[in-house]
Amino acid sequence: MDFLLLLLASGLVSGAAYGLIAMGFALIFKSTGVVNFAQGELVMLTAYISFTLYSTFELSFFPLMLATIPISMAIGLVLERLFIRPMLGEPIFAIVMVTVGLAVVLRGITIMIWGPDPYNFGAGIPAEVVLVGGVPFYPAQLYLIGALAVLTAAGWAFLRFSRMGIAMRAVAANETAALLVGISVSRIHAVAWMLSAAIASIAGVLFAANFKLAPDLWFQGLRSFPAVILGGMDSVIGSAVAGLVIGVIENLFQGYVGQGLREISGFIVIVIVLMVRPFGLFGSRDIERV
Amino acid sequence: MRTGHFKERTAQLVALSDSKVVWSFAGLLLALVLAAPFVIGNYQVTLLVSAMIAIVGAVGLNMLTGTTGLISLGQAGFLAVGAYTNAILMMDHGWPVWLSMPAAGVVSALVSLLVGVPSLRLKGLYLAITTLAFAFIINHVILYAEWLTHGPNGIFVSGATVMGVDLQRGKALYYLTFGITVLVVFAALNIQRSRVGRAWMAIRDHDIAARVMGVDLLRYKLYAFMVSSFIVGIAGALISLQIRFVNIDVFALILSIEALAIIILGGLGSIAGAILGAIFLSLLPEAIRLFFDVFADTNSSFYTTYVYEIRGITYGIVIIAFLRLKPEGLIGLWRDVRKYWSNWPLAY
Amino acid sequence: MKKNGLLALGAFLLASTAAYAADPGVSDTEIKIGDVNIMTGPASFIGRAVSVGSKIAAAEINEAGGVNGRKITIVTEDDGYVPARSFQALTKLIEVDGIFALNGTSGTANVLAMMPLIEENNLPTVVTTAPNELVYNPVRPSVFTVGASYSDAFYAQLKYIHENGEPANPVYGLIRQDDDFGGAVEAGYDRAVKEFGVKDGLRIRFKKGTANFAAEVAQMKQAGVNVLANGGIIAGAANILGEARKLSMDLQVASVWSEDMPPSVNLSAPAGYDYLVADYVALSGPAIDAFLEKAKKYASDEEIGAINRYTYVTYVGLKALAEAMGQCGQDLTRACTVEKLRGLKDFDTQGISAPLSFDNPEQLSGTAVAVYQLNAAEKTFKALTDFADY
Repeated sequence: MDFLLLLLASGLVSGAAYGLIAMGFALIFKSTGVVNFAQGELVMLTAYISFTLYSTFELSFFPLMLATIPISMAIGLVLERLFIRPMLGEPIFAIVMVTVGLAVVLRGITIMIWGPDPYNFGAGIPAEVVLVGGVPFYPAQLYLIGALAVLTAAGWAFLRFSRMGIAMRAVAANETAALLVGISVSRIHAVAWMLSAAIASIAGVLFAANFKLAPDLWFQGLRSFPAVILGGMDSVIGSAVAGLVIGVIENLFQGYVGQGLREISGFIVIVIVLMVRPFGLFGSRDIERV
Repeated sequence: MRTGHFKERTAQLVALSDSKVVWSFAGLLLALVLAAPFVIGNYQVTLLVSAMIAIVGAVGLNMLTGTTGLISLGQAGFLAVGAYTNAILMMDHGWPVWLSMPAAGVVSALVSLLVGVPSLRLKGLYLAITTLAFAFIINHVILYAEWLTHGPNGIFVSGATVMGVDLQRGKALYYLTFGITVLVVFAALNIQRSRVGRAWMAIRDHDIAARVMGVDLLRYKLYAFMVSSFIVGIAGALISLQIRFVNIDVFALILSIEALAIIILGGLGSIAGAILGAIFLSLLPEAIRLFFDVFADTNSSFYTTYVYEIRGITYGIVIIAFLRLKPEGLIGLWRDVRKYWSNWPLAY
Repeated sequence: MKKNGLLALGAFLLASTAAYAADPGVSDTEIKIGDVNIMTGPASFIGRAVSVGSKIAAAEINEAGGVNGRKITIVTEDDGYVPARSFQALTKLIEVDGIFALNGTSGTANVLAMMPLIEENNLPTVVTTAPNELVYNPVRPSVFTVGASYSDAFYAQLKYIHENGEPANPVYGLIRQDDDFGGAVEAGYDRAVKEFGVKDGLRIRFKKGTANFAAEVAQMKQAGVNVLANGGIIAGAANILGEARKLSMDLQVASVWSEDMPPSVNLSAPAGYDYLVADYVALSGPAIDAFLEKAKKYASDEEIGAINRYTYVTYVGLKALAEAMGQCGQDLTRACTVEKLRGLKDFDTQGISAPLSFDNPEQLSGTAVAVYQLNAAEKTFKALTDFADY
């Protein structure tokens, strides 16, 4: 029983990491239709920036996030204006490839500025083990799960009740119609990137606090793709939930079947689910007209 | 402007080109490529071999993604399957290379069936990630099936001799790769002009309408997977011959993204685009290196400390800038040049 | 007589110029040595350190007059840890830059990818960063390997634990990567466990790039492991130890030698385990102090900050190569260098590693390892044993 609880706990932790990164993906895809292949690198870059802030000012967690999030949002805005906005109207493939090129550039810049050495990143979170229901946790792990819960709730409320959120859903449903109704689509795109960058920074800081800060952090972006797909690419809440599902399944597989089957189990699950529900668990069906 | 060109038979309609000029230029290009190894150095020959292998892979992927519209991120896996099949058949079972290479393609095509069947209902990025999942799974299987693939130790590939000529060295490898490239390009051009190719394009443009018109989606999508993977498997076998060592690390997942970059940069859907894209991206790192050797201040300490990162970043910037300025890709650039040439001095 | 003498002299001169013209990379004033390094990407802390090692060794040799009057020039190419690029990089070094010999060789898969080219050109090669059995078995005529296998390193540490301070009911456990590096680690673990007759609790494999080891460590705890062979590296190893500390596991830990690098120690120390490492170079002591003095003379501050064990092994490798080249005298050819390397015996490396001798069938040396223990609170290493062969 203990073993199962431990596995579930660790599944929630890694699932939360996947879910946070996946939410960033889904947000951009939902609002702009672009698959942001540079999301992982954005997570990495914002984590490193936060690390510099932490080393210089010795902040504790919440002040650190208060400082990091606006900077990340600014970075998201800059990237969107510089690289994505000029490509408006071009075939979607070209825009996706621009994000791939952007990923390469961001990776190089990160290593150029901070070097290839890995670092311990405490992020101002206390380091003593706490017990929750008999299961030991590091506070950083609890913060990660907590952040996912908070962001999921905030995301749901935002998309359901706020003007900006509803406008985003409108743009996602039909861009032309949204324009006709008076929504500034370009502003929505910018906001989507800013919010996605903010989520990425939270994901990055908490991931680094749990699993160390290293220049191969961007690979987690690629590993979160299954969560995006399982949840449905245009469902932000779905990505969060799917992240948890994949995290738990991975850890259960690893614990009971073992032998490096961790990643494969996640992928096998999504292949099976997609055979039944081709748009993911929560994704909206594409209605095609002939 | 050409006048008086009438098509009297169907064959003339589907011919690759009806212009003698085009054919003679093509012939000239082929002759130049054939003569190249005698003029350039050994290192440049290996660069060209890598570029030609990239062409083969890109043409294969283009058939699946550009012509049929099925986005695939699993190319690294199919390359690995082709390379490992070639290596295992040649080294563990002693097959001659002219048998093992086509076999590599066939095995790759069969594996792609495994990938294709679950993916039939999927569209867009869902399909891409499913193929990525399969690439991961293939990676994993190769690593753990030690009785077949020597697991993580990898396989050394040698002894590819035909009539006493070692096909893995210098010029022999160049001509072998060149021959295969020409065959593959012609095959691709022909398939595109045939019934199957038209069915694929119909699926890409609007698959429901194609279904309504009688195109069997199941059959043609699977054909697309199989033919594309056959070609990619052969590209993998060529890689195993060139590098003479196969290992999981040689076929990292980043290759899939690079393959997609090649066909998008070249121009999606066009075989000429795939060729141009492959050559461009294969030679780009070399070109960047030469550029920096000539123009950068090699004594500045900033440069020497960060030279490798700077080259990497430049690679990304070139891709972004190119797509910003010409989103249709290299083939769009070519078409612009052609139009300018034939319309000059008029504007259109 | 005089005419014959002149003819003989002329023939000798012609013959020696023919010898000069025969091998690339050698001129009257310089010798070109190549380095294929990991200069970009997350693993570049290895390549950077190797670069510094080459630089210091070359500078030291050149200041002492070079190799029989010829200065050593290092030519570096980046391969980003991708084997296909290593092959490309070595082709360029051989064809375009015309190197004479190869010192830096990147990782295991990378050096294996370069083997066909090395054999084809009979390139004198010293492999110091990838002492994997696949490199020297089968042995290639011009390849000389320095370094103990991961297998020996782990066996040495587990033996030390077994003989000094094994817990009362020992249960041994192994966690390792699922590639050739992991396989070598398991070989050492296997040997130790069979020889000591202790309980083999659990062997776990993980994929390269795994960050979350909670499930694996939970399995360890369930099996009751108290002696751990930790085959993780850098962040991975640190995360494993962090999870173990979270579950309050009492562990004696044996680690990969990458854990003696300063950045790795910074990552792992907070978990509070005084883990062991075994390495075939010295980590502290008078030999290293002397080396760092030299480094201050030849390297910039930033480069000194990048120094770790990979610097030491590369330094030792290049010094051995230079020694062999020096023994060839003025008539420097690849064939002669290979022959002199084969005959190298008890080459003193001023205590940085055990003395090097390549006069064995596998052309392998530096297989002696010393076991060190980390003081996690102070982040320093203490030598527990001397260099010994296992």
